[in-house]
Amino acid sequence: MKKLGLTFYKGAAIMVVVIFLGLQVSSPSIENPPVTTEISVPTDVKQILERACYDCHSNEAKVEWFDKIAPASFLVAHDVNEARSRFNFSEWDKNPVGVQELLLWEMVNAIEQEKMPLKRYQLAHPGGKVSESELAVLKQYVNTLPGRHKVDTARIVAKTSSIQKVLAEKMPVSLNGIPYSADYKNWKIISLTDKFDGGSMRIVYGNDIMVKAIENRQLPFPDGARIVKVVWGKQAEDKEGNVLPGNFQNAQFMIKDSKKYSATEGWGFAKFDGLDLKPSGKTILFEQTCANCHRLLAPENDFVFNIPTK
Amino acid sequence: MKSTISLCIIALVLLMLSCDDRNTAHLAPEYLYDAGNQMVIKSIINNKKGTISMLYGNELALQAASDSLSKPNIGAHYTLVTWKQKPMPQWYGTNMNGDIYSIEHLKVVQRNEARFAFDYDFQSEKGYQPGDDRPEKEERIKFITSQRAAVFP
Repeated sequence: MKKLGLTFYKGAAIMVVVIFLGLQVSSPSIENPPVTTEISVPTDVKQILERACYDCHSNEAKVEWFDKIAPASFLVAHDVNEARSRFNFSEWDKNPVGVQELLLWEMVNAIEQEKMPLKRYQLAHPGGKVSESELAVLKQYVNTLPGRHKVDTARIVAKTSSIQKVLAEKMPVSLNGIPYSADYKNWKIISLTDKFDGGSMRIVYGNDIMVKAIENRQLPFPDGARIVKVVWGKQAEDKEGNVLPGNFQNAQFMIKDSKKYSATEGWGFAKFDGLDLKPSGKTILFEQTCANCHRLLAPENDFVFNIPTK
Repeated sequence: MKSTISLCIIALVLLMLSCDDRNTAHLAPEYLYDAGNQMVIKSIINNKKGTISMLYGNELALQAASDSLSKPNIGAHYTLVTWKQKPMPQWYGTNMNGDIYSIEHLKVVQRNEARFAFDYDFQSEKGYQPGDDRPEKEERIKFITSQRAAVFP
């Protein structure tokens, strides 16, 4: 009996060694493509990003010897590819200016909520953590970005009859099949916000199912819950400190259907830009961009930012 | 031996459970305000006072706020709900409404055939502190009735 057991363990050990060696052969290698346009930020900010973020979010990854050993190498390659697809400091101008600002605010939030750098990265790279004082440096920096104090000085454009006519004939539909609908004007307001990044103010509506769920403190939200966020620019502050809505920017929809939208955490996302309500996004991938941020930063809220919480 | 193994398993399970950092948020329905059938006119931020408000109105109020000539409509009812601002818990970079601070009602009523008058009422709520200023009635009437409706599709 004892002999049999030993043979078994020997066999198992040999198997493990063979699998391990086999994995090394197929192990992915992390390439560093050329740096096209690197992000331009103050030196103190740059140093933090280089140390804590560049190993995954740039084309200047410093791969340690232990990162190259399979099976860890598979995980490292996956993380680097995923990170570069979200944003890449070495190809920074691929993002429109407005998106660049939003990404910087998102980074600050991901660090503040300790979602980034990834825990597994910090375990292998003890120097990767961003300290409180470094986070303060990043916060101070994002508050200097142009969108932070953006004022909508343009004359407020009214709805024109030609736009109304077009919309009356055919309601816009987003790429993932969500149609615009003005039903929300009869819903209740669930929150009001003043967004610093990008400079906008918002009114957030919820349908009956959504409002009832909030009243009953029901999380996650049930299927059929709908949210519409209406976004305006901000006019200059008056003497008394009042800031009034400027021009309409967009309307953002979130529809809960846990089966239909299972790939985006149960929520269907849509955004309609301008008074002519042009559906946002060039490809259906736009909904992943929405979901990525909601998934990372608002899992406690069933992935919704704009709900009343303590 | 067996009990040590079971103890280890229990400890491991507990450890894994404690590592689950997906806490659930505490919803705050007390921040909601039910404006009944009144409709949205606009929202107003006030960073000097640290408040954010919502101006609602009935059809006549919305009509008056949407017309290019700002003239009070007899029968117009306005509700201005003001909340204290608070930082959004999930997003550094946004302030949102917290406790309700005050509710102001304004009605444009007919006094006689040629003139109209205003019924104004200020109600303090949870976010209102005893030392806070009470707004001056005439100023508030002027402020509320002079608001133009936000433009949206």
